[in-house]
Amino acid sequence: MKGSVIKYERDNIDTDVILPGPYLKIHDYAELATHAMEGLDKDFHKRVKPGDFIVAGRNFGCGSSREHAPIALSYSGIKAVLALSFARIFYRNAVDGAFLLPIEIDEGAYKDISDTDLLEVDISTNEIKNLTKNKIYKMKPFPELIGKIIEAGGLFNYKP
Amino acid sequence: MSKTLFEKIWDSHIVVEENGRSLLYVDRHLVHEVTSPQAFDGLRLNGRTVRRTDLTFATMDHNVPTSDRSLPIIDQTSSTQIKALERNCKEFGITLFDIHSPNQGIVHVIGPELGITLPGTTIVCGDSHTSTHGAFGALAFGIGTSDVEHVLATQCIMMEKPKTFEININGKRKNPHAVTAKDIILSIIRKIGTSGGTGTVIEYRGETISELTMEQRMTICNMSIEAGARAGLIAPDEKTYQYLQGRKYAPKNYDEYVSLWRETLKTDSGARFDKSFTLSAENIAPQVSWGTNPAMTTDVTGVVPFPDEYGKGNSEEEKGAEKALQYMNLKAGMAITDITIDRVFIGSCTNSRLEDLMEAAKVVKGKKVSSRVRAMVVPGSQLVKKNAEEIGLDKIFKDAGFEWRESGCSMCLGMNPDILASGERCASTSNRNFEGRQGTGGRTHLVSPVMAAAAAIHGHFVDVRELDLN
Repeated sequence: MKGSVIKYERDNIDTDVILPGPYLKIHDYAELATHAMEGLDKDFHKRVKPGDFIVAGRNFGCGSSREHAPIALSYSGIKAVLALSFARIFYRNAVDGAFLLPIEIDEGAYKDISDTDLLEVDISTNEIKNLTKNKIYKMKPFPELIGKIIEAGGLFNYKP
Repeated sequence: MSKTLFEKIWDSHIVVEENGRSLLYVDRHLVHEVTSPQAFDGLRLNGRTVRRTDLTFATMDHNVPTSDRSLPIIDQTSSTQIKALERNCKEFGITLFDIHSPNQGIVHVIGPELGITLPGTTIVCGDSHTSTHGAFGALAFGIGTSDVEHVLATQCIMMEKPKTFEININGKRKNPHAVTAKDIILSIIRKIGTSGGTGTVIEYRGETISELTMEQRMTICNMSIEAGARAGLIAPDEKTYQYLQGRKYAPKNYDEYVSLWRETLKTDSGARFDKSFTLSAENIAPQVSWGTNPAMTTDVTGVVPFPDEYGKGNSEEEKGAEKALQYMNLKAGMAITDITIDRVFIGSCTNSRLEDLMEAAKVVKGKKVSSRVRAMVVPGSQLVKKNAEEIGLDKIFKDAGFEWRESGCSMCLGMNPDILASGERCASTSNRNFEGRQGTGGRTHLVSPVMAAAAAIHGHFVDVRELDLN
């Protein structure tokens, strides 16, 4: 996966800003996507390109269990969120529906990666290449169950 | 081997377990209108049915209007979502407490109220505040829509085993009417942080917890998710068994169940937790959140913190506090009691039960809502509303100038017409003070029902310990 970075230097980016409550009534995924990140960044949907990555701080996706949050990001084109840590329900929603990859990175990578950097993520080697800065970071490997669900392409395709 | 309460419930629900991956059986599945439509669509698309319609219960709560229910719903998208749930429940054979049902209400209020929530069970719902049910010694997880579909189809959930976290709360509160369960849980989150419970199931223990009523215990467990925990638990006791006795869906051979629960549902002495935290309740003050996550909270006697003090050398925390103050339009150093309020919301799955309303009513009785404030009470369920009206609470609130509304999630998450206008400041008994949660640009201060009621009367925060609440 190759894409450029949209970075938010913030902890606790919650599902209410990722996809604000009033839009939970929308069922069309493409329409949901037009409201992604609206609570934090009104220009996100204009800026995001297919294949982009979000980079953020700790506890990304905290708050509500709304699967609309990873769906909106996914249908905006986001392939993975690289964060210092994730809230559990968001993490599972992202993986179970095969919407995007929740990738945990360390402080060093978080500080080093800048907005608009071009990254290449390889989950088979747990490596993140920063093509702009010509650097390589390690991502935290997925726990076993999560890795298998990702490999299967979501919870419903996963056969234990 | 000694086991924690969590381990006992977990172990007794394992269908298959290998390499730390577990397939758990689900005893109760609660469904609402917002996180279920895609799950039902998925079932339909794959020709699947609901495996245990007898263990699945639905209601609409998130987007329902809290105005006159005899009138049609004006918001067409809300109406469509509500009708979809009606259609789905009919098609798949699920019990639904619809918008006109005397049992309609916030899913986490009606579960316990109807005896659907039982000790020792596993409960899931497509809502993060499912942790509420842990107050009954049930292992209750919030899940997303893919998992909702999985549970509808299989009655099982695939999980990795969480870690265990004990939070001991000891000591007597000097004024339990002024320093409430909400103040205890906000104090805990303030100390352990919004990710302090990540990856764990919290068991709340200690004499302060034992002394709480069931409704107060629900407030504690409800906000476990705000500390990032997967679930919150409190071991059941005689109060639990008494609360559930005679409830609509409680088992008929109730005494046999109680004997079993008494025997099994406790953490063994000598059982080990992965993590531990202790708090004394003696000196807890009424809490008020000043920022944009529930850990950004302080004592009512305190001041809005300076970002550098709040960050304690952590630049991310400091930046977070700066952004929060900017959003909240507050100045560091300002006294909490000088913060003036435009709106008051008493409601939500955290604080909308009968006791919450009774306590708030003590503050309100015979007084008037400040002329600068618009205040509303949204009972958690139709049953709460009915019981409150039977003891005249509606009259106390209405006489004071509060709006007395129909049950639902309402202004907690701003999905229905009950929202803050941009820039409005609200004293709210709900659970999240995230940016825009109660309406774009709205500013939320999390407080207890008595604190919210007092703010409504005075137009600003006051220390409710100074009021006569007995």
